[in-house]
Amino acid sequence: MATWNRYVEIGEPVMTGKGIGKAIKAAFLKDPRALAILEDMQFPEIEWFTDNMFDRMIECGIAEQNGACVAAALASEGFVPVINNFLFASMSRAYNQIRQSILVDRFNVKFISREGVWGEVGVSHATIEGVGSLRVLPNLVIMNPADVVEAEKATEAMMQYIGPAMIKQEMSPNPFKIFTDDYPFDIGKAYSLRDGKDATIVATGYMVTEAIKAVDLLEKEGLDVGVLNVCTLKPIDEDAIVAAAARTGAIVTAENSSDINGLGDAVACVLSENLPTPLVKVGVEDEFGQSGLVTPEKDELMEHFGLSAEDLVVSVKECIEKKERLRKGV
Amino acid sequence: MSHSDALVQELEARSKALFNDCLDQFCTFSQGHVGGTMSVMEIITALYFHHLKFDPKNPDWPERDRVIMSKAHCCEAIYAALVELGMYPEETLGTYYCYGSPFQGHADRWCTPGIDFSGGSLGQGLSFAAGLALAEKLKMKFNPPSREDTFLPRYIVRYNPRFRTYCIMGDGEMHEGQVWEAAMFATKFKLDNLIGIVDYNKWSLDGPTNDIMPIEPLVDKWRAFGWTVYEIDGHDLRQILDSLDLVAKQYGDNKPKVIIAHTVKGRGVSNWEELHMHLGRGEEMMKGVREGRAKYGDME
Repeated sequence: MATWNRYVEIGEPVMTGKGIGKAIKAAFLKDPRALAILEDMQFPEIEWFTDNMFDRMIECGIAEQNGACVAAALASEGFVPVINNFLFASMSRAYNQIRQSILVDRFNVKFISREGVWGEVGVSHATIEGVGSLRVLPNLVIMNPADVVEAEKATEAMMQYIGPAMIKQEMSPNPFKIFTDDYPFDIGKAYSLRDGKDATIVATGYMVTEAIKAVDLLEKEGLDVGVLNVCTLKPIDEDAIVAAAARTGAIVTAENSSDINGLGDAVACVLSENLPTPLVKVGVEDEFGQSGLVTPEKDELMEHFGLSAEDLVVSVKECIEKKERLRKGV
Repeated sequence: MSHSDALVQELEARSKALFNDCLDQFCTFSQGHVGGTMSVMEIITALYFHHLKFDPKNPDWPERDRVIMSKAHCCEAIYAALVELGMYPEETLGTYYCYGSPFQGHADRWCTPGIDFSGGSLGQGLSFAAGLALAEKLKMKFNPPSREDTFLPRYIVRYNPRFRTYCIMGDGEMHEGQVWEAAMFATKFKLDNLIGIVDYNKWSLDGPTNDIMPIEPLVDKWRAFGWTVYEIDGHDLRQILDSLDLVAKQYGDNKPKVIIAHTVKGRGVSNWEELHMHLGRGEEMMKGVREGRAKYGDME
């Protein structure tokens, strides 16, 4: 079995939502200015909120555009509103409201958005364009935690951070518990799970789990592959990415959303500017999501979109081949 | 509720001064949203020079009344008011639209102290205003005013909000769905500290508002959404002052209020009125500027 860096202890699959709920609860207990903006879409730990925080729940109904502007106004008066919804509803539907009312004035609004290809929900809910469309907006911090521990720490960091920030929540039931409880999380810092020699998989969110599976598969073939977990997609940790490229000379990016203007493009930009390196992007290739079965044993959508560990293995080999060709000057 | 003639005359003079300041701004690039700015002039005058709780020396005063200019293309009128209040020197008027100027093309809270809302994308102002009104309610609830907070008698504190929120909307803006989302929201949260003002000048950029997309019956619509509605002549200062006072007195009835002000687009300049000019440009607009200057007698 592969060896891992400090703070990494691969465990059983746990949904990341549990970590987010725990951190949100703690943040509401700690900060009396925090407000839950509900858009008729179950807030994390909603039963606990209904029992304990009823005064601080602002139910806006299925009117996300209004909800975003109301949150902006509450933030301008010193409250810390937290919006929770599917990304297509809270962010895509209210895109201009977020741009104009929240980000232009850097109001302290927090978003928890569910996105990615997963499960039975179908094309409307399984959005892939979120990160790509939001990354161009100034003033927004975008995070995509990989496991339950990181989700909790990222949410805690988001609530402490002053300014607009978003957490992309993975809805798949399959991500491993990856980090130990003392894992030091910092906004804007990528963490190397494993350094490797032959190539590095730069992954975010749920794809870190698939990358971990791929490392084991590749090890059986005698390849030593590293994994860099990029939780903060914006601002992106350039130093860690360049260091990984310098160490292994071959980079494979992995994300379970569109590969256009997502993690892959961000990493490609960083590398072309600093240290041109052979790179292969793995993501949803310009295609909408759809329904599929997700069980711990089988994830139809990951197979359909070419995001499974086996696909990553193929891409890593392809990237190493590119590196060899470049070295030989062919 | 009657207001003295002296007050009305003073405000009329103020409104002419604002008019002149707006002409100065239009001259900078021979361009400006003349129609909507001219139609909202008296309303801005009544708010800033009589009705509002607003301290030009302390624009971030937490207890100030908020003015949300939802139709932010007409922010020239507010800029003029801020200049007349002494917040900005008169030279600033000549930097309207300019790089680095506090007087941006559309209102920007970030670079213009005294402005409460970065508008320009229509339909969002009422939601933002409703959010502010809700914030006031929440602050009263979580942190009720104590006797030490104020020198005023307790009954006055209890029967007045810490601040009121005024939202000025255009009539074309009524096409936006989000306005009606906000209307429902305000009724749900009983925002009696929220006052909407619709500058109903009947014309949008492409033509008559009611031809582009009929918004009538506007009064019935607002009423059906649970708002108290007042209809006034938006160029009659007495009616504006009376309606604002009336609305303020009804605090505590748990209903948001809207004042529908019937106005004339490009008011005060004959060719702007004739053309229902929305965005004035070039010689055609400058003709109007000259006429306005002649009519109201430029101070220079």
